[in-house]
Amino acid sequence: MQLVIIGNSAAGLSALEAFRKRDRTSPVTVITKESTIPYSRVLLPYYLRGKTTFKNLFIRSEDYYSQMGATCITDAVVKLLSEKQTLILENSAPVSYDRLLIATGSSPVKPPIPGLEGKGIHHLWTLADVENLMPCFKKGKSVVVLGSGFVSLQGAWAALSRGLDVTVVELLSRIMPNALDDHGAQILTASMKQSGVDLRINTRTLKVEQTHDGKLKLYFNNGHDLVSDFIIVGTGVRPNIDFLEGTGIEVDNGVVVNHHMKTTLPHVYAAGDVAQVPSTFGGPCVIHALWPTALETGRIAGACMAGENISYEGSLNMNVTQMFGITVASMGKFMDVEGAETWTDKTLSHGQYLKILMKDGVPVGATCAGGSELVSTLGLLRPLIREKISIQGDPAALKKMLAQNMTRYHQAYGKGASCAL
Amino acid sequence: MRFITMDIKKCVVCRNCEYACSFQHTGDFNRADSNIRVAYHDDIKICLPQTCMHCEDAWCMEICPAAAITKNEETGAVEIDSGRCAGCKMCILACPFGNIHFDKSNLISRKCNLCKGEPQCVAACISGALQYVTAGDSCRNNREIFQRFMATLHTPL
Ligand SMILES: Cc1cc2nc3c(=O)[nH]c(=O)nc-3n(C[C@H](O)[C@H](O)[C@H](O)COP(=O)(O)OP(=O)(O)OC[C@H]3O[C@@H](n4cnc5c(N)ncnc54)[C@H](O)[C@@H]3O)c2cc1C
Ligand code: SF4
Repeated sequence: MQLVIIGNSAAGLSALEAFRKRDRTSPVTVITKESTIPYSRVLLPYYLRGKTTFKNLFIRSEDYYSQMGATCITDAVVKLLSEKQTLILENSAPVSYDRLLIATGSSPVKPPIPGLEGKGIHHLWTLADVENLMPCFKKGKSVVVLGSGFVSLQGAWAALSRGLDVTVVELLSRIMPNALDDHGAQILTASMKQSGVDLRINTRTLKVEQTHDGKLKLYFNNGHDLVSDFIIVGTGVRPNIDFLEGTGIEVDNGVVVNHHMKTTLPHVYAAGDVAQVPSTFGGPCVIHALWPTALETGRIAGACMAGENISYEGSLNMNVTQMFGITVASMGKFMDVEGAETWTDKTLSHGQYLKILMKDGVPVGATCAGGSELVSTLGLLRPLIREKISIQGDPAALKKMLAQNMTRYHQAYGKGASCAL
Repeated sequence: MRFITMDIKKCVVCRNCEYACSFQHTGDFNRADSNIRVAYHDDIKICLPQTCMHCEDAWCMEICPAAAITKNEETGAVEIDSGRCAGCKMCILACPFGNIHFDKSNLISRKCNLCKGEPQCVAACISGALQYVTAGDSCRNNREIFQRFMATLHTPL
């Protein structure tokens, strides 16, 4: 059985490793159009900021593929011939498969703003993007970040840390709509401004012009135009699925898969950012586009491709980052929604924020802003959200409940028995 | 395979383990730098020293986007490589026990590493609540322990 995996990032690696745990002999080919040695996208902003080294971006060793008994082809897949079970590559010979995993992730897209191309227009998505950006990250330079999502703001924070002049432009009335609730966004907004970011919400970019001294001029709907050395565009992404055209595979916002990561084409699986996967809350399939989800879905796909019949428990979004001096995190449902009870921790000191959402006594999500201890509380909640465990009373009882649970557990197995804490 | 076990009936919340841990890792006695934390719940009279369980399929280890967390084959400890950790806090978010902490001076995450097989918290425990024991029939590995933990979540109190 020949297994082919397209993509050597979170989902592809996780699939390969899960597959090899179960099948040590079948040949595996990994195809990537980027660096042969896998690197971590999550670390790119940390590298820009100088928090980690170039070497540390690479998360597997040079002899990784030989250790895994896999072959790696560095080339782009341009077409899938599903009836022939064959992939057409840009520069190399076609590759046939018995089972195929699509783990191609997504790519940033530019909004339709005239002049938003050419010199000085960047994305922050791949290693190549960061290699292009690094020379621009010089003290005293100015950058405009278009978009205020998670990745954009990490870019803004990296630029600010390096002494650049940073403007963030957001079309909507608040930052980070996919990762924070209104209150958390307000707290982060305050720290951003305090750190010296020029944050412009409710602002539409009309056009961009190259000036004759090599800079970029941005025109906005409110007339407060500005000139900048370069722009980072972080306004949205789309799945990498061009090579699937004409196959008839079901695509909605991403490649649609079931609980086994199977697509609608025979022998073809998908995982990671490219796939629209079941959610832990049931309902329609989702693309969370997060590292943990890519790992989990990759692991399920790898196991299923090796013949094991396991099902995905559903993606639970979880996000954490420290920037502009504070830590923010969220998990599950964190926006105030109808039918859910909201509990905020009133015992916290000023500037610390923790909110837990419950539905029928079961925690469904949480968000926090402030110190890293709050992040641990979200961690404790994760198994409860996943397993739909109800908390008796309000979430203030949560820590107590967990302590009691742990205690019973210790009493049952602790004394005399060989059992860890 | 050896584990740190604890007997909650014996713990007297002296916090010697916390000081010993801090001293081992930083050369100073600062409870905030300890990887073992004694949680004292006054209202329900529970004192619970908490430190890493070194899970077999550790969630922190899977999630780390820097490949900074590995299992020490010799001691069984799940360890963070401080040279690789970028301080993203994903492991803190992933730990279901709250046993990974953030080192505010070095801006990286840190956790118990079993002191290379000689846990100082156990050595400093005055009541015998903490023990470093060898795996036995009742519990062969950390995977079983984890499964039991998950099961206790489901049984009503
Ligand atoms: C700057 C940045 C910061 C981030 N920070 C976080 C964070 O803090 N937390 C978090 O949870 N998530 C974060 N993410 C998101 C996270 O990185 C992604 O969810 C994750 O990388 C998805 O993994 P994947 O394997 O599905 O796809 P990707 O990582 O996108 O990898 C896609 C792979 O497919 C290959 N490929 C694509 N098309 C082709 C083709 N046609 N032919 C051959 N190969 C192809 C690529 O070469 C690559 O190997 C961040 C992302 C970025 C860009
Ligand atoms: S904080 Fe460090 S050890 Fe923890 S997940 Fe991030 S990089 Fe890995």
